[in-house]
Amino acid sequence: MTSYFSWNGNPVAFQPGETIAAALLRAGIIDLGQPLNTPGGRVFCGIGACQGCVVAVADAAPVEACLTPARDGLRLGSLPAVGADHV
Amino acid sequence: MCEAPILVVGGGPAGASAAASLAEAGLPVLLIEQRDQLGGAIHRLPAPGNASHIWRPARHRRNWARLTARLQAAAGRIETHTQTVFLGVDGQDRFLLDDRSKGLVFTRRLRAAIIAVGAVETIRPFSGWELPGVMTAGGAQVLLKETGRPLEGPILIAGSGPLLPAIAAQLAKAGNPPVAVLERGRPWNAPGALARLALSWAPMSEAATYAATLARSRVPYRCGATVTQAEPDGDGLKVGIRIGEVQEFLHVRHLLIHDGIEPNRTGIPFPEPDADVPVLLAGDGREALGADAAILDGHRAAMQLLTRLGRANRAAASDERGLQRARDFQANLARALHSEPVVPAPETVICRCEGRIYADLATLAEDASAREIRLMGRFGLGACQGRFCGPMIAALRGQPLPVTTPPRWPLRPVSVAALARLTTDETE
Amino acid sequence: MKPKRFGPSLYGTNRFGMASSSPLHVAVIGTGIVGASAAHFLAAAGARVTLLDASGPAAGATGASDGAVSVASKRPGPMMDLARHARAFYVRNEREGLFRGLFHRRSTFLIARTAIEADLVAQHGGDLAAAGERVVEIDRATLLKRIPGLGASVCAALEIPDDGHALGYEITERLLQRSRVSVRRNAPVSEIVMRAGRACGVAVRNEFLPADAVLVAAGIGSAPLLGLGEILLPRKGQMAVTDRATAGGPAIDGHLMAASYLAAKRGIVRDNSHIGLVIDPLMTGQFLIGGSREDHRGDHTTDAVTIAAILREALDLYPPLAGRRVLRSFAGVRTASRDGLPIVGLHPHRTGVVIATGFEGDGICLGPFMGASAARLLLGERPEADLSALSPQRFARVEAHV
Repeated sequence: MTSYFSWNGNPVAFQPGETIAAALLRAGIIDLGQPLNTPGGRVFCGIGACQGCVVAVADAAPVEACLTPARDGLRLGSLPAVGADHV
Repeated sequence: MCEAPILVVGGGPAGASAAASLAEAGLPVLLIEQRDQLGGAIHRLPAPGNASHIWRPARHRRNWARLTARLQAAAGRIETHTQTVFLGVDGQDRFLLDDRSKGLVFTRRLRAAIIAVGAVETIRPFSGWELPGVMTAGGAQVLLKETGRPLEGPILIAGSGPLLPAIAAQLAKAGNPPVAVLERGRPWNAPGALARLALSWAPMSEAATYAATLARSRVPYRCGATVTQAEPDGDGLKVGIRIGEVQEFLHVRHLLIHDGIEPNRTGIPFPEPDADVPVLLAGDGREALGADAAILDGHRAAMQLLTRLGRANRAAASDERGLQRARDFQANLARALHSEPVVPAPETVICRCEGRIYADLATLAEDASAREIRLMGRFGLGACQGRFCGPMIAALRGQPLPVTTPPRWPLRPVSVAALARLTTDETE
Repeated sequence: MKPKRFGPSLYGTNRFGMASSSPLHVAVIGTGIVGASAAHFLAAAGARVTLLDASGPAAGATGASDGAVSVASKRPGPMMDLARHARAFYVRNEREGLFRGLFHRRSTFLIARTAIEADLVAQHGGDLAAAGERVVEIDRATLLKRIPGLGASVCAALEIPDDGHALGYEITERLLQRSRVSVRRNAPVSEIVMRAGRACGVAVRNEFLPADAVLVAAGIGSAPLLGLGEILLPRKGQMAVTDRATAGGPAIDGHLMAASYLAAKRGIVRDNSHIGLVIDPLMTGQFLIGGSREDHRGDHTTDAVTIAAILREALDLYPPLAGRRVLRSFAGVRTASRDGLPIVGLHPHRTGVVIATGFEGDGICLGPFMGASAARLLLGERPEADLSALSPQRFARVEAHV
């Protein structure tokens, strides 16, 4: 059975044990949004160091997509998304 | 009261080797790993439930199988916390550990610590390196090992070092060969170093396998070739490349970059083997010598610690010999692939977290303090805390970034709520 | 401030009685917000300024503090009055260009979470009103509209609408840029050199730098230079900075100051583990959360137990912080005086030495104005506010025993 989390309001499928980053990339989501005057977030170093893939989590603090296992029902979105509708 | 454990930070080859060696000597070990499985970047395992296995050299498979068996045999003395991030040491010598699965930060009374947090990849900034679609080669490799699936769409690999052909070959075997591999260096200009490299059997046979794979998949491998810029182009990237004097453009979906590795030392406490709670570094986090050397170095650090704690141990001269071989190999590799630094264009992003560019760096005083670089320049002030811009700034300014004293914690961002739930085993 | 008026004292006979045809040469010790301001206004008045720092610009408390330009937090009496002058100085210089873009008006909310705290806040509000400050009582429902998400324990609040925000290191940088005074970094002054009872220069390591006058704005480093070791004490404050809650601009509509902070400022609690909680929404969208008040601690280390305690307080007051990450912790060392008031004025015995230090946690608010005032005192001008309460003279007897 496939599991899903939501990304900026849209469902993204993932396989058990997969990271958020892996699922997003497989779904073709390369640009993780435009949090700053800098370009959009992105998976970059893959080991939690660069903080480029940090994503907002509804009702919790942001996490590195490359380190964090995907979980069913997680509501994720581009940074910063406090109070934003899509999370 | 329980015996205070030895903290081992990092479940890669160095950490696993250190943890197993200490536990085999009868000491309790607290092993923490930021991911949900041990292995580190090099021995990244497929996600549980994912049957697809990415091709990797048999030597690495054997090494990790051996380490895993040793950890299992000594499991009774090793308390392992996965999804746990090392946050550094606070001003009262607490080692702070962020257990992401429990959502809290904890500290333990410790007997000693071995820190084996591996390496970070270095990159040489060019205009556009900050764009989505640009990833480090190592990051892409970890992803590939985990998912067994290559990134989709045309891929270009550029930079320098042996990782470039390795990831290229793995992508090719997984079904998506890259459009090209661009190596910055010109190894043919350093025949002496090249000849000495050829004497290193294991890495060279690995390289030969990669070369054969690339040839079969018709992936061009060009030396003296660099990426000069990248810009968004449809749903991919338009990448400017220079090969010798020729400038051309490629359209790709992903650009993988990598210019070697260096120890991940940002915020890591200084090694203090003689302190009350001795702290040692091991593996690529101490000296970037690669995966095989990391196993030896983990053992070496464990034996050094046992000596320090007055325990009998089996310190091995072979560890030192192996490390020296790896050191010679890396030195020859560096000589063979050496290339002069390039001054980036003024608008090149240096600090991605804060959107700071090379021109901003140039306005800082020559003798600017660490605090000025951080506060006024806003370099190293962002979420990555200078892990990427620090080495770049050091290379571009021609001097190391002044260190902040005392070392800052948290050395990685930590949830406010988790830190507020700090638990200690102190009896106050 | 119009520097032209200082002209006459710069040439001819200055207040130190020296006939001179060349501009007055002043050594300013300390490149924090106070020293940078003094240097700027001295240079604007035509003085030649040598600016020295043991480390570099904003290396002390200036670069390790929140950005509150707040009258709301001040102890009643001269501090509250001077803070009003100091804040007006920011407003004027923002308007006239010197601080353009760096000072932002914003409200301070004084927040009570218990009945006892509500009484304290009300009393403080009365003192502010008596000092001429606008004070707005605000009920919980209205407050929640202004600051959505405030904790359930918040029961009463006052809004001080005319406060502001500025970052000490940005103000310092601007003052240095505008004055074009160059900074000698890594130049620790070991001694103020006196000749015939008058300052004639400073010693930096083995080097003698001549000067006609010396202005000391070196924070805790002022103590050994002036023999104030018994009078100045370090008070460490630990703080945390979060990631961004917004892509730009403050995440909430004002500076949150808990009654626990007022209690410390009014001298009601003097406990080294006391947390005087403030939540400062930075212009970047980040939060700065402070802080501890640790007497006799001059080090810059931070510890997890203290930072966790600060964060628990902050989460109670403003639970949405649970959605943030701490990017770093840091500590600033405030320089406090024995009687809690800054020390600004001419040195009682040493002619040609002017002191401006001891601003405790109020240096960002008071610093630019006090630096300018110290410059005026040095030049023989009358400051824009009555600084007699801050005069070093009050410690003269103490120093005589040192």
